[in-house]
Amino acid sequence: MSLGEHALEVLSTLADGGWPEAEVFHKQGRSRTLQYTPYGDVTSLRQEEGWAVRAGDQRRSFYYAATGRPTPRARWPDADGLGLRLPSARPAPAWTAPSILDAPLIGESEARGLFEGLAKELDRELPGARLLAGDLDDGSSESLLASSREVTARVRHRAASLRLEAAHATPGQRHVTLDVADRDARRFSPAVLARRLADLLAVGETNSTRPRDRGELLLAPSVAVGLLAALGELWIGPEAEQLSATLADRRGRIGSSAFTLVDNGRLAGGVLEAPFDGEGQPTREVVLVEEGALRQPLLAWWQTRSAIHRASGCCLRPSWRDLPRAGATHLYLQPDPKLRVASMIEDLTRGYYLIHLAGPPRVEADLSRFAAPVSGFAIAGGRPTGTVAEAWLVGSVSTLLCGIVAKARDLTFSTVRGGMVGSPTLLVKGLELRQQI
Amino acid sequence: MSERPFTQLDSAGIARTLSQIADRPTDLADVFFERREDVELPAAGQAPGLRVWREEGLAVRLLRDGRTWLAGRDRIDPEALHDAFRRVARAMPRAPYPKPGLDEEPWNDRPAAPEILTFPSEVGRALRSHHVDLAHQLTVWRHRRWVRVIGTQLASGTETESFYSFRADVPGGRFGGLSSTLNEGTAEDVARQLVHLHRAREAAPPEPSRGVAILGPSATAVLLHEAVAHALEVDTLALAGHPEAALGTRLGSALLDVFDDPSSSPEGVRRASDDEGFPVVRRCLLRSGVIEQPLCDTAWAGRSELLAAGAGRRGNRHLAPGPRSTHLELAAGEHSRQELLVDAEGGLYLPLADRGQLDPATGRFTLRFPYGHRVQNHVLGPPVGSCWMRGHLNDLLEKITGVGSRVQAAGAGWCAKGGVKLPVWATCPEIRLEGVEITP
Repeated sequence: MSLGEHALEVLSTLADGGWPEAEVFHKQGRSRTLQYTPYGDVTSLRQEEGWAVRAGDQRRSFYYAATGRPTPRARWPDADGLGLRLPSARPAPAWTAPSILDAPLIGESEARGLFEGLAKELDRELPGARLLAGDLDDGSSESLLASSREVTARVRHRAASLRLEAAHATPGQRHVTLDVADRDARRFSPAVLARRLADLLAVGETNSTRPRDRGELLLAPSVAVGLLAALGELWIGPEAEQLSATLADRRGRIGSSAFTLVDNGRLAGGVLEAPFDGEGQPTREVVLVEEGALRQPLLAWWQTRSAIHRASGCCLRPSWRDLPRAGATHLYLQPDPKLRVASMIEDLTRGYYLIHLAGPPRVEADLSRFAAPVSGFAIAGGRPTGTVAEAWLVGSVSTLLCGIVAKARDLTFSTVRGGMVGSPTLLVKGLELRQQI
Repeated sequence: MSERPFTQLDSAGIARTLSQIADRPTDLADVFFERREDVELPAAGQAPGLRVWREEGLAVRLLRDGRTWLAGRDRIDPEALHDAFRRVARAMPRAPYPKPGLDEEPWNDRPAAPEILTFPSEVGRALRSHHVDLAHQLTVWRHRRWVRVIGTQLASGTETESFYSFRADVPGGRFGGLSSTLNEGTAEDVARQLVHLHRAREAAPPEPSRGVAILGPSATAVLLHEAVAHALEVDTLALAGHPEAALGTRLGSALLDVFDDPSSSPEGVRRASDDEGFPVVRRCLLRSGVIEQPLCDTAWAGRSELLAAGAGRRGNRHLAPGPRSTHLELAAGEHSRQELLVDAEGGLYLPLADRGQLDPATGRFTLRFPYGHRVQNHVLGPPVGSCWMRGHLNDLLEKITGVGSRVQAAGAGWCAKGGVKLPVWATCPEIRLEGVEITP
């Protein structure tokens, strides 16, 4: 019996049991991981498979998930939840599966080679620096979703993640970590990653700059992504329009003309690129903020039932264990394809290049002000003149969004709460750097 | 399903196949069988209602010369086991691997957890008895797990764990924890903590200061988990050199006798063997403040005669074991609470710690307390708001100047080191620290 037939059999059993709203989700995947440490490594090959059922009617509902394949012989728990409504099938634009989906997983020796190359490059970039640990995960998966509302969605994914930890040669120094994700593990470049680790290590813990300063600030993608994610309430969910309105000027703008924010579940080359989301709804590109003006928030079908055309497939369901929830798929600040980061640094007369977010930004409950722990370099005349460590980037949220004067072409994504959030390097004016808050 | 799965496994057949894979004298190979069930009662007003997750699977592991190969499957059947054997083997076998019998009953009983359905109303009732009408969102879980390990030279019995966790969100705060039981007493404990959080919500945080702080048993458990247990995991010690070198080193005050003993965990989570099948031991981590025996798994025990296995824990079948604590105990001291308070005039009493972190590289340590009380006239005075304790690991543990005489189960919670979520338990008294830095 095929997987689809298994799912249909379960749906049929649920319908016979008196459940008009029912959905079966199945996901299986393979992944190879290599955990690298100086004292030995762990190679693992996982084959994971599981399924989940949501079922209910207008008054009650239940959820059941298990490993293996869908089976009608499963015994359901009591339905003591509120009523359940599932989405209907909606037409999806044509989608061509990328070829990477069929490529083999990274081999054990390839993975080990990546870490050995990284350790060597890191030592070359910053003599004495050590790669303490690495965790590489390369996986492929396929999922099937079928529901009583005639939704049938098959999705394949391919994703690789890499976490690195490095330290100076001197014991007792702070460690740095770097997390990156890509669809193809073979695209992780030891030289590029070693350079990023070396930059993080070079910033170190000492401050060679004044504790309180303003100036032009270059925010590296990792810093900008952290801020975009922390301010997610401004552009994600049904409350976003109301919250954003408090920041808008007379023309309804919440940011500068350089600020265009997009969410696109079918972003070509994106780690989560897929024709459907976790509830079988078609994904699409939605412009949330266009040149500073809020166009619409990111909404799932159940958040905008009266204006369904505004919804996009943005329900995340990373695993068969997860219930679907609305969130960013590939949320990104649109880059400027012509502007290089190097040019931005060269043009910086006096300012700071902030490359690391040391923790989650703190945002005031009314989203008026923020403070983010950052580190980076002081720049004068286009050259680094000192380091900034354990400093706080502070200001009003409005100043941050309206102060974006330029953006580079280096759009880089990070994984945030199961979705991807991306940004290029940003040049921002009007914010303040403080040693303490 | 029978109360104890994995009793019908052909352990001799599995061991024979493992010995084909572990064909060098120092190799270690095992199969880990796991079943787990999590039942969640979400906060009121959510659909779908009762949520059930059931998982079962196995993993074959080979440990050779410091390297580990692991193959995990989300099924328990001869084909899955056979395939996992093939993936882990480093060479073609001289003879085909046999397919050992895995006559497990199907796991098909109806999922139900009636005890968690009534818990929210019990907490509500307990809150009302404190004359507090507090809007709260309470989520409750029941967790059950069965594991068995079969190796070339050992076959543990099936280990069972069953416990509950809860998370309550109230305006301005969150309180969560674990409990091996769920009854009126647990509901009263949760309600009492929520009332304290609620009453302290508008209290001003203490001014930055250096002084005396008394930690309640729960906060002490979090401190010891971060500052002793994590610091004494062999993989953490290895970041600074060979873990053996740490033996005999002084880590903290001579008042500290700290043990990790999974066999004395609360009933329901008590263990006879660890997740590598090794018998657990009452491990003395610190004796009079001096490191005696770090937390160690088989991978490290194989490299040193001074390190003892028995503290290997796995987040799930797809993850390799690592050295972790299960049930921390701080031996009772000599001071009554009154004696501790007498010497803490003007200081702080901090009953709960909700967040802690140790940077293993620098030894920097932070602990967050959601609320506390000022000690005035030798009793607990007005509440203070949230605050942090910061310091350096050794320095902080040296500042412990008093240990309470009354120990109690406290501070159970989730540990998420390296993203691997594991339940941890503790039995602790109160402690007094002097000269510690407190900041808002």
